[in-house]
Amino acid sequence: MSKIVKLSQENWSDLLTGMAKDYHIYAPIQYSNQQDYELLNEYNIKDIVYNHPKPATPLKTFLLPIKQNLVKDNRFKPSVILGIPACDLSAVNILSEIYLDKDFKDSAYEHRLENYIFIGSDCYSMQEHCHCTSYGFKPYPTENADIVLSRLDSTVFLQSLTPKGDKLIGLIESKVALVKALEEEINQINDKRERITHQLIEKNKDIPDYTKTGELIKQAKEEIWKRYADTCVSCGACATICPTCTCFLLIDRPGFEKVRQLDACQLPAFAHVAAGEDPLHELHVRFKNRYMCKYVWKPEKFDSVACTGCGRCIEACIGKINKNELFVELNRED
Amino acid sequence: MTASRNIYQCIKAEITEVIDESPTIKSFVLRPEREFEFKTGQFVELTLDGFGEAPFTPSSSPLEKEEIQITVMRAGYVTEKIHQLKPGVIMGIRGPYGRGYPLDKFFDKEVLVLGGGCGFAPLRSLLYNLKAEEDKIKKLVFCYGSKTPAECIYKPYINELRQVKKFEVYRSVDRPDETWTEEVGVVTNLLDKIAINVDDSVAVVCGPPVMMKFGTLKLLEMGYPEDNIYLSMEKNMSCGLGKCGHCMMGKYFVCKDGPVFSYDEVKDQPDIWQ
Ligand SMILES: Cc1cc2nc3c(=O)[nH]c(=O)nc-3n(C[C@H](O)[C@H](O)[C@H](O)COP(=O)(O)OP(=O)(O)OC[C@H]3O[C@@H](n4cnc5c(N)ncnc54)[C@H](O)[C@@H]3O)c2cc1C
Ligand code: SF4
Ligand code: SF4
Ligand code: FES
Repeated sequence: MSKIVKLSQENWSDLLTGMAKDYHIYAPIQYSNQQDYELLNEYNIKDIVYNHPKPATPLKTFLLPIKQNLVKDNRFKPSVILGIPACDLSAVNILSEIYLDKDFKDSAYEHRLENYIFIGSDCYSMQEHCHCTSYGFKPYPTENADIVLSRLDSTVFLQSLTPKGDKLIGLIESKVALVKALEEEINQINDKRERITHQLIEKNKDIPDYTKTGELIKQAKEEIWKRYADTCVSCGACATICPTCTCFLLIDRPGFEKVRQLDACQLPAFAHVAAGEDPLHELHVRFKNRYMCKYVWKPEKFDSVACTGCGRCIEACIGKINKNELFVELNRED
Repeated sequence: MTASRNIYQCIKAEITEVIDESPTIKSFVLRPEREFEFKTGQFVELTLDGFGEAPFTPSSSPLEKEEIQITVMRAGYVTEKIHQLKPGVIMGIRGPYGRGYPLDKFFDKEVLVLGGGCGFAPLRSLLYNLKAEEDKIKKLVFCYGSKTPAECIYKPYINELRQVKKFEVYRSVDRPDETWTEEVGVVTNLLDKIAINVDDSVAVVCGPPVMMKFGTLKLLEMGYPEDNIYLSMEKNMSCGLGKCGHCMMGKYFVCKDGPVFSYDEVKDQPDIWQ
């Protein structure tokens, strides 16, 4: 474990103001009823929300933009993303398993992953549909962050987890004095983390775990899929907003250029073939497909968990479909 | 982007010849800008610049590296446009992708090849390959079916196949005309007429979904073990690289884990015949 260092909130904000002139830094900014990543400038730094659950946009959007030309050179300047929740950082595992697959490495994805510095942050509260602990995740970053940011009152704590993080902390240190965190402060942070972890576990105690969910889904009868899919309008929002859903379509541009555009199995004709067959033609089959993919097939194929329990798909659904109600119901019947 | 190979980049290939195979099927001879190697049963993504791309299994011999042939059935957006192309047009190729036919499992065996319609395309590449390795197989029985005589593709090639000592070729059409002298009926009927030692044989099936389904059921009925029946699965595809998710069939990415599977591998996956 590398050491935890601290600085005052005021110094931290000044530092960001200075750095935002030279670097692209994104951080969650509060709007009326939600928070989302914004590029920092000297005016919005005061509106950054710290240690709050997930921003509206998942982290995947930075690594796999909704639309990206994969053949044209699209280098970009190293950038910092600040305030990433643990669930979104853990989602990077499955993205990297797919996009950095040794047989076909996606160099556009790799380039972005290498050039972002991720500053993760602890969640000290939860939102209605947060359920990361149900699938074995913690509400504070344990992986894929270069630096972890925690806060106590008006003090900011930073802990580097990677060489990239060390480098950034070195740079910060050249601009402002950093002090080693006290043992009792670290204990206080840990207490906060423990408290929120227990609250999440307690709130979600009826939700089956990841493996059990897979078993339940596999056995679930057609009737329940039809019932839950009844209000689905195939908008694809659940997949688009999901930090681990990464299906796409390649679009052609003159010069043999290929544009990767985010796609979703929930959209009609995703699996349609020219001869006319479409295994996902029926709405309830398509609806079920997304869950089979996340909880049954991905686990058979990959090591990483394919749902981080962020709850975004529930919030985004205009059909008001709550996958956790479905899983709890399946669990009850089991 | 880093210096490593860009997996989305096409290599260019010029159309040198267009061959009419049937009213809806044409073959395109392509000369890639550099030697192009593939294993029989693997596929490529063929790009019409700025327009679109689609997956095709080369129908030429994998031993031929300077030119490849792709046989295209007119079926929709991209294939319609490809059919209008003339020699001289530069296309893009990505690949080869996927897992082809496991030839080593065919050696020292009697090979039964069951094909329908445009499914002959990948099979022709396999037949070329096995012809070159004739001494390694016991015999090969090829059963091919199409709707009408006009839709039977590769007519000159059929005669060539019939000259190969260890090859037997049978054809059937659903609706014959007055010129047709071979069998009539669905292609699976041919299986009742052939002599093959099932216990010492492997079978390969490629064609439209209905034919694949009934062909496989018939082979199982004949006593073929599930792991000795090889199917070429066709699913919607985009990337060909095991990423975009379009071709998912249960846990498999058909583009990367297939497109050739043994029946045993896929039988428990959903919607395999769709
Ligand atoms: C591994 C493999 C090998 C194939 N080999 C051949 C071959 O040798 N000869 C041949 O004529 N056809 C072959 N096909 C089928 C061929 O790819 C489709 O007919 C073609 O994609 C239809 O494209 P379209 O734009 O004309 O049709 P549309 O229905 O307009 O399709 C639009 C897009 O959807 C996707 N798509 C639609 N149908 C299919 C499909 N059946 N398979 C995969 N993607 C599809 C493609 O990306 C296509 O561009 C093969 C398919 C696969 C999966
Ligand atoms: S499936 Fe829903 S809860 Fe799970 S990671 Fe995706 S958006 Fe979050
Ligand atoms: S967000 Fe809801 S309505 Fe939209 S596709 Fe997903 S389940 Fe269906
Ligand atoms: S075609 Fe993209 S994953 Fe198979």
